[in-house]
Amino acid sequence: MSDPILSLQNVHKSFGEAHIIRDANLDVIPGERHAVIGPNGAGKSTLFHLCSGQFAPSEGKILLNGTNIAGLKPAEVNRRGLARSFQITNIFPGVSVFENLRLAVMRKHNLQFVFWRSVARLRRVNAEVDELLTRIRLSDRAYSLASQLSYSEQRSLEIGMTLASDPQVILLDEPMAGMSHEETNYTAGLIREITEGRTLLIVEHDMGVVFSLAHRISVLVYGEIVATGTPEEIRGNARVKEAYLGEEAA
Amino acid sequence: MKYAPLLLLLTVAVLVALPWLVSGSMLNAAVQMLIAALFAMAFGLLCGQAGLLSFGHAAYFGVGAFAAVHAMNAFGGEGLLPTPLLPLVGGATGLVSGLLAGYFSTKRTGVYFAMITLALAELLHALAPHLKTVFGGEAGVSSFRMPAWGIGFGSLNDVYFLTLVWTLLCIGLLYLFSKTPLGRLALGLRENAHRLRFLGYNTHALGTLIFAVSAMFAGVAGALQSMNIEAANYVVLESHISTAVVLNSFIGGVRVFLGPAIGGAVMTFFGHVTSDLTRVWLLYQGIIFVLVMMFLPRGIVGELVERLRSPGSEGFAGTLGTTLMRLASLAVAAFGGVFLVEFLQRFLSAEYRAGVQEGIWPNITLFSHDWAPLSVLPWGFGFGLFGLGIALVVMVNRRVAARKEAQA
Repeated sequence: MSDPILSLQNVHKSFGEAHIIRDANLDVIPGERHAVIGPNGAGKSTLFHLCSGQFAPSEGKILLNGTNIAGLKPAEVNRRGLARSFQITNIFPGVSVFENLRLAVMRKHNLQFVFWRSVARLRRVNAEVDELLTRIRLSDRAYSLASQLSYSEQRSLEIGMTLASDPQVILLDEPMAGMSHEETNYTAGLIREITEGRTLLIVEHDMGVVFSLAHRISVLVYGEIVATGTPEEIRGNARVKEAYLGEEAA
Repeated sequence: MKYAPLLLLLTVAVLVALPWLVSGSMLNAAVQMLIAALFAMAFGLLCGQAGLLSFGHAAYFGVGAFAAVHAMNAFGGEGLLPTPLLPLVGGATGLVSGLLAGYFSTKRTGVYFAMITLALAELLHALAPHLKTVFGGEAGVSSFRMPAWGIGFGSLNDVYFLTLVWTLLCIGLLYLFSKTPLGRLALGLRENAHRLRFLGYNTHALGTLIFAVSAMFAGVAGALQSMNIEAANYVVLESHISTAVVLNSFIGGVRVFLGPAIGGAVMTFFGHVTSDLTRVWLLYQGIIFVLVMMFLPRGIVGELVERLRSPGSEGFAGTLGTTLMRLASLAVAAFGGVFLVEFLQRFLSAEYRAGVQEGIWPNITLFSHDWAPLSVLPWGFGFGLFGLGIALVVMVNRRVAARKEAQA
């Protein structure tokens, strides 16, 4: 087994008296699609916030490619190759789809405080945006306002923006939440396609998606990772059944 | 929008020809309008594009104005800084003070940002009278425009062209700025700063820079103002200047590119015309703002652009027709309203009260007609016209709605 690309070591996070993450250990192997499941309130979103720099862990280390990123700011974590999407659709609603992606792509090309070049002439950036549009299948909506897209289109855009920085590790937080069956299948296919050659860490409630998409699954219960394994191993794990799948089946 | 370049060219041509078309007093008003337009455009960059509502933009306008006057005195319009280049000083001062103030204020957004900008501007305004060497105390600082580059700068025409060139140049630069990566990121800041952070951007630095650019152009506007009147006084730091630029920009339409400029120019023109005619012109300005915000929340230009983009089911001609009918009805209502306000203002004024003796109420002259204040006539006339106008608007609206329903 190769070295983990993302590794949580004895990570602990508390908000005052509330201990949300307790001593979590998790290794994500390069190139795998790794899902985190767990009942509501288990701390899945908090785990993502810790990895992406929204929160700093109270204790423990978070290693990305071997360097500790615990406590770094979101922008710095992003620059080191980890990008995330959000549980709530998090786009730029009042500008076009194209502009949304361009804002995301520009960062990769170090275009931040640049006021002497026209965006219309950034050929490589615009070409990359076109390519992304094709990959997330939104080419025909390029010049619509992002706020006018359907819900699943907005989710696709969100994923496209996550991809824009060409990250090694992608964190997707419930990308299928609130989707119809067809939309879920569509998005699952999209995720499979775009995460080719990258590492994916995904939180998702739809068990059908999780078990078919993920190479490995970790189960988070009350802030602890109680099990990590292949979908078959997780299905057969007694502790998981008791804590989570049992509830789900009932 | 294929006629936009043509329209732009026409506007510039009219502006260039203006000194030969209008009177001196009107040309003076035009200088004020240009300055207000540029100031509003600077504000629009921050508020409309970056979504940061500043309540203290008078500060950057003011420091630009003072810097230009001091530079005028120091250089005498020669050497490194000849008269036509003096607005550069205003811009540079605005930029530096904008960097400083922007650093602190853009640490927060929304209401808190607005409060910090207001506090900083008020701080400067309170400090200014005590710093006599910089702000000149009650009298202010005055100077003279010196000839340079073979131009006298003594006549109003010269001042007008100086202001026109700088205003057009700055608006052009602001347009180009909106097309750069930094200008586009301003939109991202407005739409979703949180997402921008997770894309790896430094939102605080972005906010500070955009604030500084906005303050820089406000400084240029301030410099043009003090060059126009050859003086600067600390009243330019007063909060009503900050408020006026907010109102003007929103009336014009803060999110469309030329909206603030047109709002600033129109409202300055409105002030110029009405302040000679009536004492309550500020009331009218307030009413216009409230009405625009209630019925045209995108602002005048914003609404116009929207209508042109999607004329709706009636088509362009139909929309134009109903708009004209609405405007005509509104004009009737406005006349009634203005009549009532003016009549009341005269009726309630101290001078009139002093003239009332032993229960005899003298006639009030309004629109070259004498009206008996206690008769039904003036009140009926005012309320009648106002009501008629509103009724006409309602009628037009109903007809449009009925037609739409019939089509659906």
